[in-house]
Amino acid sequence: MGFEWLAILMFLGFFIILMSGYPVAFSFAGTAIVFGLIGLIVGAFDLHRLLLLPNIWFGTMSNFTLLAIPYFVFLGAVLEKSGLAEELLETLGFILGRLRGGLALAVVIVGTLLAATTGVVAATVIVMGMLSLPVMLRYGYDKKLAAGVIIASGTLAQLIPPSLVLVILSDQIGVSVGDLFLGALIPGLMLSGSYMLYILGLAVFKPEMVPALPEDLEIPKGKDLTKQIFKAVVPPIILIFIVLGSIFFGLATPTEAGAVGAVGACLLAFFNKRLTPQLLRDAAHSTAIITALVVMILFCSSLFGLVFDALGGKTLITSLLTRLPGGYLGFVIFSNIAIFLLGVFLEFIEICFIAMPLFVPAAQAIGIDMVWFGVVMAINLQTAFISPPVGFSLFYLQSVAPKEISTLEIHKSAIPFMVLQFIVLVIVMLFPQTVRWLIDLSTTTGVS
Amino acid sequence: MRSLLKLSSAIDTFTDKIGWFINWLVLLTVGVGFYNVIARYIGRFIGVTLASNVFIELQWYLFSLTFLLGFAYILKHGENVRVDFLYAHFTEKQRSLIDFLGTIFFLIPFCLIGIWVTFNPVLQSWGYLPNGTWGTWEMSPDADGLPRAPIKSMIPLCLLLLLIQSISQAIKYLAVLLGYQTVAERIRIETSENINIE
Amino acid sequence: AQNQSTGQQTNTNALPNIEWQMATSWPPSLETIFGGAQVLADRVAALTGGKFKITPRSAGEIAPALEVLSVVSQGAVQCGHTASYYYIGKSPVLAFGTTVPFGLTAQQQNAWLYEGGGLKKLQEIYANKFNVIEFPCGNTGTQMGGWFRKEVSFLNDLKGLKMRIPGLGGQVMSKLGVTVQSLPGGEIFQALQTGAIDAAEWVGPYDDEKLGLNKVAKYYYYPGWWEPGATLELQVNLNEWKKLPPQYQEAITTAAFESNTTMLARYDSRNNEALQRLLTSGTQVRPYSQEILAAAEQASFALYDEFAAKDADFKAVYDEWKQFRTRIYAWHKLNEGSFTNFVYSQLK
Ligand code: NA
Ligand code: NA
Repeated sequence: MGFEWLAILMFLGFFIILMSGYPVAFSFAGTAIVFGLIGLIVGAFDLHRLLLLPNIWFGTMSNFTLLAIPYFVFLGAVLEKSGLAEELLETLGFILGRLRGGLALAVVIVGTLLAATTGVVAATVIVMGMLSLPVMLRYGYDKKLAAGVIIASGTLAQLIPPSLVLVILSDQIGVSVGDLFLGALIPGLMLSGSYMLYILGLAVFKPEMVPALPEDLEIPKGKDLTKQIFKAVVPPIILIFIVLGSIFFGLATPTEAGAVGAVGACLLAFFNKRLTPQLLRDAAHSTAIITALVVMILFCSSLFGLVFDALGGKTLITSLLTRLPGGYLGFVIFSNIAIFLLGVFLEFIEICFIAMPLFVPAAQAIGIDMVWFGVVMAINLQTAFISPPVGFSLFYLQSVAPKEISTLEIHKSAIPFMVLQFIVLVIVMLFPQTVRWLIDLSTTTGVS
Repeated sequence: MRSLLKLSSAIDTFTDKIGWFINWLVLLTVGVGFYNVIARYIGRFIGVTLASNVFIELQWYLFSLTFLLGFAYILKHGENVRVDFLYAHFTEKQRSLIDFLGTIFFLIPFCLIGIWVTFNPVLQSWGYLPNGTWGTWEMSPDADGLPRAPIKSMIPLCLLLLLIQSISQAIKYLAVLLGYQTVAERIRIETSENINIE
Repeated sequence: AQNQSTGQQTNTNALPNIEWQMATSWPPSLETIFGGAQVLADRVAALTGGKFKITPRSAGEIAPALEVLSVVSQGAVQCGHTASYYYIGKSPVLAFGTTVPFGLTAQQQNAWLYEGGGLKKLQEIYANKFNVIEFPCGNTGTQMGGWFRKEVSFLNDLKGLKMRIPGLGGQVMSKLGVTVQSLPGGEIFQALQTGAIDAAEWVGPYDDEKLGLNKVAKYYYYPGWWEPGATLELQVNLNEWKKLPPQYQEAITTAAFESNTTMLARYDSRNNEALQRLLTSGTQVRPYSQEILAAAEQASFALYDEFAAKDADFKAVYDEWKQFRTRIYAWHKLNEGSFTNFVYSQLK
């Protein structure tokens, strides 16, 4: 005992190693090794605790839900490498024609639809990055805006059901998953709406960031455009609705729906006469690489979390958090600030485990509606996902971003969207009906 | 140094061969996942039970194999994400120094720790008992599940592959530090975005 | 009295401060079952003047829910609170530690474990195979038979049905023609909602209500024949156990007894209240038909015979357990059964 400050120093150590440019995954592992060793020397770390590691790793391997990563990345890779994604967004650009910001609006809409098909943020951010970042850059969109739109709308996967985060939150705060799913839907759509308003605002006030298609570009009109819409836009939209529909009509669970989508993308390429062995191999190769690098981060960050816990990090944060200011308003504001600060450095799962058990009894004692509280926390975690320099969504986008956009630009790109999320957070906090409305509607209409 | 670099080349070739293999695993994963969806429905109409936990579990076995085998490959090709606010502005030697130190002090110990902690659980999974005798293999607890020992064994095995590749990386970074220009060029090609497979 | 208290004081002063971590398989929201771990920890602390501190950690916090036995066995944490039937993949005999289809009720399970030689036998196996000592530490009582989107009246209705049901219950269902699907906890709700699966089982009214299963399936079947009285376990790494002063070992043993009783009492008192709430919200309860029950019982014992043929540990425990089961069934049928039959039949 008495060495908990070592756990806090871990953040500093991690920050330094991370900034040296050494890979994120191994920076997690390296920090854990250094501080584990220090802990071992001063007697604050029990070597036995390392034996948890294989079990945590095995838990990751057998985590069925993570299969969404290879399925959706493969789907995205097929659409990207066959050129179908480009045609889709290009044609969307034609439809929206001279409307500034049109392409970015399309990205937000596609991101919202994808969010409804999976709860795994890594999958959606990566797919959105593959599909739309190159196109937006090519049409002269501001790099930071392009990256920010993708990061923010890709991260919606954790708020719009189905969602891994909401499932874990429901476990921690003891409300039903169904209520949380329903409660998060409107706030999720509000976020997506706020991104669109922001883009429209830019179109008016900063038109150079979201340019319309160039004047000299020949845009197909009339019959030609209709033809192209049916060829390039309709099929991929149908694909998304097949994935959504296979969940909605009970053909597949959300994870399996990813596999349906992956096969669907191949069929789409086939009907466009683009399904070559080369295409399949390239798509499979990208999928393998991205899956490996995402899980490498998860494997290494679990070592970090393990050492952090063993050094008493959670105990220390607990003792800080229990000095809660009293009263309804005090508690609500404090808990939000605490979650946000933790979110800058910790993974969302860790935050759920550290903070929720402390907040829940206090929230219940004050008589706060727990579903509403859960949704508010989920919006906050949404911000944690995209906050630099340790937002996991930033890393996921980095993994597929072209060289012309720098890491610094990606990390900076999230900041305006963090502000937007804060505004939506305040609205949801002021108007709990945004969460309750659908739930109350479903209870009054009874069991289906 | 020359013989070290030869060793490194041999390791790199080996890792690339595995990189070819994992492409197939991805296609298989997608295939099995799709089969699981249609089997439940087609099976219902033709009155044969086609769906089974064998295929549900096979899905995540293949998924696990993909990323476990991919670890070494992505290391060789510099695919791991970096926060390179500063790194991007460093010289080649400065970068190699960071990567060399990281590999020696972080990555290699990480692999060693990983192999060390998984060793006993894997033996246990094959049926090794605390008193030194052998019992039965660990199976899935669910109806029609798969044996667990083979997939668990892949963790230390793939960490060993990662360890071998990190030794190769350390050799290359050292060579760059010692001024071998050709090696610097080799790393640049390996980690460039257009990876040419085969 | 004064002498005694000074004596006690010197005694506790000599005892060491010990802190243990406890991995559990439960989220804190399942407060009855996670509460079982907390009851044990609180009582141990109280019995040792706060010197022996055990901290229960929720599922996934330090170890995945289904890896508790592994982490305790390897000594990564000192102890765990879990259900032994999660680990039948490692050794099928562990099913008896929790419950088996058509096995014993909570009262009978306790009789078998404590007085029928069951616990002694299981502890031997745990020590040899996992270097672990285990204590019964909670019971859920008879569970419910799961949520179904459509009624299942006959054996034929089960054929091709997709159901989320883990473990031995799942293996029996599989023999009856059910397509058994292992799904992670988080996907159960939505899979049942959309009809990707037709049925799912969890625990009983109190816990099922929390998962919201009543909102996505209408029919609630009973009884949970695959879990007539599920025992939860405290598992302690044997090396750590041997290092404890005898007083602390006594504290753990006593606290486990208390937790075993408290959890059952909580479930029994809360389940009925929860069931009433479910009924008013529109849930339809249905009994399993005699045809299904009879076929399931037959399939269960066929399965046990298969296991016994393959696994010596299983056979050794199974043979004794079966005899015990016959004897206690006969006794409870004659006496308690005739009493409960009469009084329950008077219920309106
Ligand atoms: Na989602
Ligand atoms: Na159950």
